[in-house]
Amino acid sequence: MNIASLSPDQAPPISIPLRFFAVAPLFLIVAALILLAGDAAPFADAHSPALLAATHCITLGFMATVMMGATQQILPVVVGSPVPASRLVAWFTLLPLAAGTLLLTAGFLRSDARLLGLAWPLLATAFAVFIAAALVSLWRARTHNLTWIAILLALLALAGAVTLGTLLDRGYAAGMALDYARLSAMHIGLALGGWVLLLIVGVSYQVVPMFQITPGYPKWLGDLLAPSLFAALLLNLASLSLGEAPLRNAVAESVFWLLAISFAVTTLWLQHHRRRKISDATLSFFRLGMFALMFAAACSFAALALPAAAAPLRMLSIIAFIGGFAMSLIQGMLYKIVPFLVWFHLFRGGSNALRAGIPNMKEVIAERLIWWHLRLHVFTLLAALPAPWWDVAVWPLALGLLLQGMLLAYAMYAGIAVFRRTLARIANLASDSVTNDRPGPP
Amino acid sequence: MPSIAAFMTDKHKACDTEFARAEDYALSADWDKAGPAFETFHHDMAQHFRMEEDQLFPTLLAAGGPGGPVQIMLMEHEQMNDLLGQMKTALDGHDAQRYGGLSETLLIVMQQHNLKEEQILYPIADRILASESAAVLGRMQQV
Repeated sequence: MNIASLSPDQAPPISIPLRFFAVAPLFLIVAALILLAGDAAPFADAHSPALLAATHCITLGFMATVMMGATQQILPVVVGSPVPASRLVAWFTLLPLAAGTLLLTAGFLRSDARLLGLAWPLLATAFAVFIAAALVSLWRARTHNLTWIAILLALLALAGAVTLGTLLDRGYAAGMALDYARLSAMHIGLALGGWVLLLIVGVSYQVVPMFQITPGYPKWLGDLLAPSLFAALLLNLASLSLGEAPLRNAVAESVFWLLAISFAVTTLWLQHHRRRKISDATLSFFRLGMFALMFAAACSFAALALPAAAAPLRMLSIIAFIGGFAMSLIQGMLYKIVPFLVWFHLFRGGSNALRAGIPNMKEVIAERLIWWHLRLHVFTLLAALPAPWWDVAVWPLALGLLLQGMLLAYAMYAGIAVFRRTLARIANLASDSVTNDRPGPP
Repeated sequence: MPSIAAFMTDKHKACDTEFARAEDYALSADWDKAGPAFETFHHDMAQHFRMEEDQLFPTLLAAGGPGGPVQIMLMEHEQMNDLLGQMKTALDGHDAQRYGGLSETLLIVMQQHNLKEEQILYPIADRILASESAAVLGRMQQV
C-alpha cells in the first residue's frame, strides 16, 4: 500500500461494481433453465452440450462477472492502486463478457458454429481489457504485498485459460482437428486452479482476519502458497503437454491438491481461532467452501486411485470446486461487499446523509434472507452429489440453482433500491435546507 | 521502548477484543454484561482517537508529515464515532438486531482503518518522528 491508497477517491463509483453484481445472478437462472430444459442426462458426458452451456453460464456469466467487478473494487483497497479508466474498463468488460457468454451458451446448445465463432472475439476482448487494466493497476502499486503476488499470478493464469478457451472455441467453430481432451484439461486447470483459486487465496489473506478478527495467515505460508500453487499448475501443464504418463501426471496433480488442502485447513484453523464468535452467514459460506475444496481434492485423489471410476469422480470434483468452493465464497463475499459499499457511498453524503439516516449493513440486505440462501445452497450441493451417477439428481440440482439465482438477484436489487431510496431522501433534505436558508419575503 | 507502530497496533488488537466481547453479549441479549463491555470498548476507542488526534497527528504534521492521509484518518474517526453513538442508543434500547447491523458496519470500517494506519501511517510516523518517538509515546500514554 502507499499513501495514495488512503484517499477515498480511489474507490470507483458504486455503479461500477454493482452493475457486475446485478447482472451475474441472471446467469445462474439461465444455467438452471438450460439444465431443466435440455438433455435429460446432462451429466452422462462431460462434453454434453447442455453441461458445457450450463457450466460456462456459471463460470463466465456468474463467477467471472462477479470476480471482475469485485477485483476493480478491491484493487485500490488491497494493493493501493486503482484500475485506470474505470468506467470505460467496466463497459468494455461487462458488455462483451455478457454477450459473449450468451452466444457461447447458445452455440453449445445448438451446436452452431456461427454463434461459437461470434462468441470468442467478444470474450477475448472482455478478458483482454480486464487483464490489461488490472495489470496496469498492479504495475503502478508501490508495495508488492502477498495479495499483490497472488492477484498477479491469478491474472497470468486467467490469460492462459482465456487463450486456451479461445483456441478451443475457434476449433469447435471451424471444425479444426485439435486434441480437445488435453486442451480442455489445461483450460480447466488454469481457469479454476489458477484464476479462481489464486484470486480467492489473495483476497482471503485480507478478508479472513478482517471479517472475523482471526490471527493472520502464517508468514511462511503466505509467502509460499500462491507461488507454489502457480508452480504446481505449470508442472501440471508441462506434464499434460508431454503426453500420456499416468504416474507423472498423478504426481503433478497431487502436489497441486495438497497445496489447495493446506490453504483450506489453514483458513479453517484461523476461523476456528477467531475472536468474533457470533454466528455469521458469510463465515458459514466460507467454511462450507473450504470443506468443499477439500472434498474436491479427495474426489480427485479417488479418481487417481480408481481409474475405472475416474470419469464420474472427476466430474464430482469439478462440481465440488465450482459449486461448493467458488460459489460458496463468491456468494458469501457478495453479502458482505454490497451492504458495505451501499453504506460507505451513502456516508459520503455528509451531514445531510447523517440527518437522513443511513441504513446499516443489515438493513441493506436482510440477514434472514442470507441465511435462507445458505440453506438453499447446501440443499443444491447435496442434490449435486449423486448427479454424476444418477440422472434424476439434475432436477433438484437445477431447481436449487434456479432459486439461488432468483434469491441472489432479489438481494442485489433490494440493496440497490435501498441505496437509491436513501440517496433520494438525502437529496430532498439538501434541497429543503437550501430552500430554508433562502431569505424569506419582506 | 516499542515503536509507534507496535504500540498502536497493540491498542488496535485490544480494541478488537473488546469489540467482539461487547457484540457477543449484545447479540445474545445479555444486557447486564453488554452495557459494561460496550462502555469499556467505547472508552478505549475514544482514548485511542484522542492519542492520535491530540498527540500523534499534530506532532506528525508539525514535523512535515502527510496532511491528506491524516485528514482521511480523521474523517474515518468521525464515521466510527457516528456508528458508536448509534450503537450506544441501540444498546440503551436493548435492540440487539440494530446493534448487530451497526457493529457489523463498524467492524469493516474499523478493520480497514486499522490496516491503513498499521501499514502506512504508523511506519511513516516512526520514520519521520524517529528522534522524538519516545517523547511522543510518553505523551500518548498520558492521554
